[in-house]
Amino acid sequence: MSEQQWSVRRDTKKKRLEQADGLCRGKQIDTEKMTEFLENILFPGDTVILEGDNQKQASFLSEALENCDPERVHDLHMVIPSVSRPEHLNLFEKGMASLLDFSYAGSQSMRIAQMIEDETLRVGAIHTYVELYARLFIDLIPDICLVAADEADPEGNLYTGPNTEETPTLVEATAFKNGIVIAQVNRIRDRVSRVDIPGDWVDFIVESPEPYEIKPLFTRDPRNITELQILMAMMCIKGIYARHGVQSLNHGIGFNTAAIELLLPTYGEQLGLKGKICSHWALNPHPTLIPAIESGWVKSVSAFGGELGMDQYIRARSDIFATGCDGSLRSNRTLTQLAGLYAIDLFIGSTLQIDEYGNSSTVTSGRLSGFGGAPNMGNNPGGRRHSTKAWQDMRQGDDELGMGRKLVVQVVETYGSGVTPVFVEKLDAVEIGKKAHLPNAPVMIYGDDVTHVVTEQGIAYLYLTQDREKRRKALQAIAGVTPFGRGISNEETEALRREGIVAFPRDLGIRVTDAKRSLLAAQNMEQLVEWSGGLYRPPVQFKSW
Amino acid sequence: MVRIHASFTELSARERAENLLDTGSARELLGPFSHLKSPHLLKQGIVPQNDDGMIVMKGRFEGRDTVVIAMEGKFQGGGIGEISGAKFAAALQEVLNDNQAGHPVFPVIIMDTGGVRLQEANYGLLAIAEIQDLLVSIREYVPVIGLIPGKVGCFGGMSMTCSLFSYIIMTKEGRLTLNGPEVIEQEAGIEEWDSSDKAFTYRTIGGEHRVAQGLADVLTEDSREAVHQAVKNCMEKGIPVHRSTMVEEYRAKIDKAAPGNAVSKKAVPANAASENTRSENVAPGSEKNSAGLRGRVWFEALTEDAITGNLGSIGSVLCRDIILGNRTCRVLAVTADPHTIFPRTRKGEVGLQQGWELARLIRQAVEEDNDSPEKRALIAVVDVPSQAYGYLEEYHGIFLSCAASVNAYAMARHAGHPVITVIVGNAISGAFLAHGLQGSHMIALDDETITVHAMSKKSAARITKRSIEDMDKAADSVAAIAYDIHSFNCLGAVNTLLKFPDHDHPSEDDVRVMKEKIAEGIRESEANGNTLDYRLKTPNAPKYRALSIQVRRQMAEAWREK
Amino acid sequence: MECLTFTYPAEKEVSKSSHVGVVGSGNLEVLMEPSVSGQAEAEVTTSLDGNREIWNCVLERFFQENPVAVHLEINDFGATPGVVRLRLLQALELAEEVE
Repeated sequence: MSEQQWSVRRDTKKKRLEQADGLCRGKQIDTEKMTEFLENILFPGDTVILEGDNQKQASFLSEALENCDPERVHDLHMVIPSVSRPEHLNLFEKGMASLLDFSYAGSQSMRIAQMIEDETLRVGAIHTYVELYARLFIDLIPDICLVAADEADPEGNLYTGPNTEETPTLVEATAFKNGIVIAQVNRIRDRVSRVDIPGDWVDFIVESPEPYEIKPLFTRDPRNITELQILMAMMCIKGIYARHGVQSLNHGIGFNTAAIELLLPTYGEQLGLKGKICSHWALNPHPTLIPAIESGWVKSVSAFGGELGMDQYIRARSDIFATGCDGSLRSNRTLTQLAGLYAIDLFIGSTLQIDEYGNSSTVTSGRLSGFGGAPNMGNNPGGRRHSTKAWQDMRQGDDELGMGRKLVVQVVETYGSGVTPVFVEKLDAVEIGKKAHLPNAPVMIYGDDVTHVVTEQGIAYLYLTQDREKRRKALQAIAGVTPFGRGISNEETEALRREGIVAFPRDLGIRVTDAKRSLLAAQNMEQLVEWSGGLYRPPVQFKSW
Repeated sequence: MVRIHASFTELSARERAENLLDTGSARELLGPFSHLKSPHLLKQGIVPQNDDGMIVMKGRFEGRDTVVIAMEGKFQGGGIGEISGAKFAAALQEVLNDNQAGHPVFPVIIMDTGGVRLQEANYGLLAIAEIQDLLVSIREYVPVIGLIPGKVGCFGGMSMTCSLFSYIIMTKEGRLTLNGPEVIEQEAGIEEWDSSDKAFTYRTIGGEHRVAQGLADVLTEDSREAVHQAVKNCMEKGIPVHRSTMVEEYRAKIDKAAPGNAVSKKAVPANAASENTRSENVAPGSEKNSAGLRGRVWFEALTEDAITGNLGSIGSVLCRDIILGNRTCRVLAVTADPHTIFPRTRKGEVGLQQGWELARLIRQAVEEDNDSPEKRALIAVVDVPSQAYGYLEEYHGIFLSCAASVNAYAMARHAGHPVITVIVGNAISGAFLAHGLQGSHMIALDDETITVHAMSKKSAARITKRSIEDMDKAADSVAAIAYDIHSFNCLGAVNTLLKFPDHDHPSEDDVRVMKEKIAEGIRESEANGNTLDYRLKTPNAPKYRALSIQVRRQMAEAWREK
Repeated sequence: MECLTFTYPAEKEVSKSSHVGVVGSGNLEVLMEPSVSGQAEAEVTTSLDGNREIWNCVLERFFQENPVAVHLEINDFGATPGVVRLRLLQALELAEEVE
């Protein structure tokens, strides 16, 4: 019996460092030698984390990796939280990588579905964000970690600016397991603006020729908010937020929730709700929240990431946002996702399909997008113990050991663009999942977790339904003229309204015709700038001046 | 708490008009319940709207009788079709009548338009010419105030129209230009203008820049109070010296803007150089029905026994006076000039220089004949391939240059000069508006190679999201979107079609016949008071411009209702 | 483009005509006028073909809830059923407004 080795990972790291010799000065890699450097330190079969975030991309490193010689670099197991860039998938086409673990693949969702079908790529799992980060510490131990930061000093201290996102988590998982951490930085300085990640955790830095890629993914132009979205927002505010006294919450990305944010200072104010709802947020610091902040609705915002154009505004509102010694935002996707799981009362988001029991998914017709953080925030954590009014409001029955529940709200128009019904008998995700050999159908939010569904027709208070059939009927009553919605009689609908399981706008005292765009606190980007006192600087694609 | 201003831009056209007028004073004329829907759109399978996207609202502004005319940018991009154009023109006609009768009515025009509605192409062009003519008349009585609040902005033939206003008020979101960046990109290449570069586009055609340049007058913030105040200020200022009449000032500016002289923001000089190189390889006129060549041939033929030399000060604008019978006439043509200092006008396009030069020559004739009982006839020989598509042209306001020529032609007619348009070659879009469409009589060669239209097929197909085959098919049922001279003739603007054996090489006899027809045209024009009204009275008009006629009648009735 | 017509029973009259909406992307124009036949009538011109059943459903529900004897002219540019319903309600509210 051979002697047990207890430091294989440390020895391997040593070997990698030896092979890196001559390609760097101290921790600093020559920009031109990046690809050669990677070819030297990567071994076949390595688990490599590549920072593809929601917003920020380690774009220089992903390009350098793609340029490696497939003869030398192959069989990699890639861990990419958000598959966003073409080269993320080119690695698989070139035979350099074979296995992928990820959470979200927005712009690459079509291609990823095709590649799985063609067996160009195997999927470990499609995780939620927080689940993926957690596994990095358990059974997806990284060998190499490629991340992006704003600044580094020669010791490897990193400044990640407002877009810290998941970088510290990815680095920590690697650094303390004898992996190699490489950070691309926009510039190297003698002293960084603030230390977000200590140099001891970072093995190498490289100055990228171009700043890392970043997109304002969460910004929504109020000009594109429709009257129906305003109507649904009014229902959410009056029929859910006000009714249950929702104080801590997360808003998913989209126009529906942007409409809610922009109605707080107007409609919310009219209803006298300031201070009673929407005080504490887990949210990307996107500009449609500015009017609510400026009108005194918001007490705190914990941010997953930054948002382009918001830096100056955030600096000037440090009571609301977390800011560092340099004055700029500190975001952290891992911790805010954790907050979104345990510390909020309500998650609200939209989807592309809902089935007859309230299961929902954005995976439709050939798109395998994954869901990022929605499944994490959009569920009820059984481990929660602290109580709030909203949480207790969901409690049913008189069980002495009963608990409250997180409010999980889906808000959708009954028909998507044109004549595509959102309510379907069976989610497309089921077939797509089978085709991709996924053990779990890619459901975003399970019907069992959903407490409310809102359409332009009304609200279904699903948490009040005792069985699946009742839940189905409640959904049918608000599914409008979709084939599913046509399957309920007037009498059944009336009965559900009397029971309070379903509420139409008139039941809530909402006049449908009051849903006007003029009700929005800001109707366009320029007005958001005005609200911010000129501190918000919209990215050019959002400017029409 | 922050109080932000209520936006004016975010309002619909109808709300904008209502908002501007004194509370309770607004009355919409030919509103949706007039059911004036475009049958031309229906024929092409496009859903129409009951006001055709043109709102006319009569009321009071700060107590003064005012009519607001507003385009709805959300319906077909605010494009001008037959009905919407006729509503606009008919309302202006009433404004003019009232003012002439000693009853001041102030027009305020809210622009939100891509220009001509491509699905009704030549209807749009004709309507715009008529609107422009009326504006020039109305300006004698009251200031015409224009507003570009933004979302669509103001493009195409309507940017020329806008330049005839007494005042142009813009927000920083408002955009004013002849050819939008997408069209320039399509026609002249992405190196000329990358239409996806939004910031660059705003720096060029956005409200802030247009006002800073002096191509618009007032920059207002987007609030209802500010817009109201801006309109009020303009109304109180009264009638200014109109920009479109400042010939010498702008000619000097344009000369300075020529490539090489210009402070270019982009690769215009480099681009221009490559254009020049190309021009040496392509002899002008080597292409079939080459633009400008036939125009030059007819110009020479008609002015063989001219009483003056060429009066044009640039190579691309030809001008001589002739005697026709016992009548002095000034013959004008825009033609190709391979040596032009503006490369984008090399093939005979109407660009920055040409509009102002036409204006100079026309105004010269008007001034010289000022005290004479007999006014020189103006003969516009038309063979124009298009307006010039270029960044420099848009930057320096080609729309104003074109408007200057429109203005000059219209003023000349109003002063008693007949304007005879002789279409011998292509008559296209902005170029035709600037040179030809202000004619009080039109003669055209009956020639299948001649095209008359608002936009090249390729660009029109791209913008209306149709294939060229689909467009051709649609043209079978809607004459206004066909490209040939016969279809244009249907629309009633052409008085005489002439066919000769060889249109490229007119014989002496051909020229004689043409001159006779011109002389006849002069007489007819004078009998009609040198107006554009003849267009709704020609034999084809009752059938093909039935709606234009109907809308005018209905507008006149609605105007007088209480 | 497709033109559709529908008729439904009606019980009450409206006092005046109303107009809402614009024929822009995903939107529609609704003209509501008192009908002469005493029935509810709808004349629909829509840019999306093949949706007669959905139109019937939306209109039928609307007139069940609001049995008004009106003539509707609808010009639709690809609005969703939700938007159509909203415009119908807006038009009705204006038509029933007391001056």
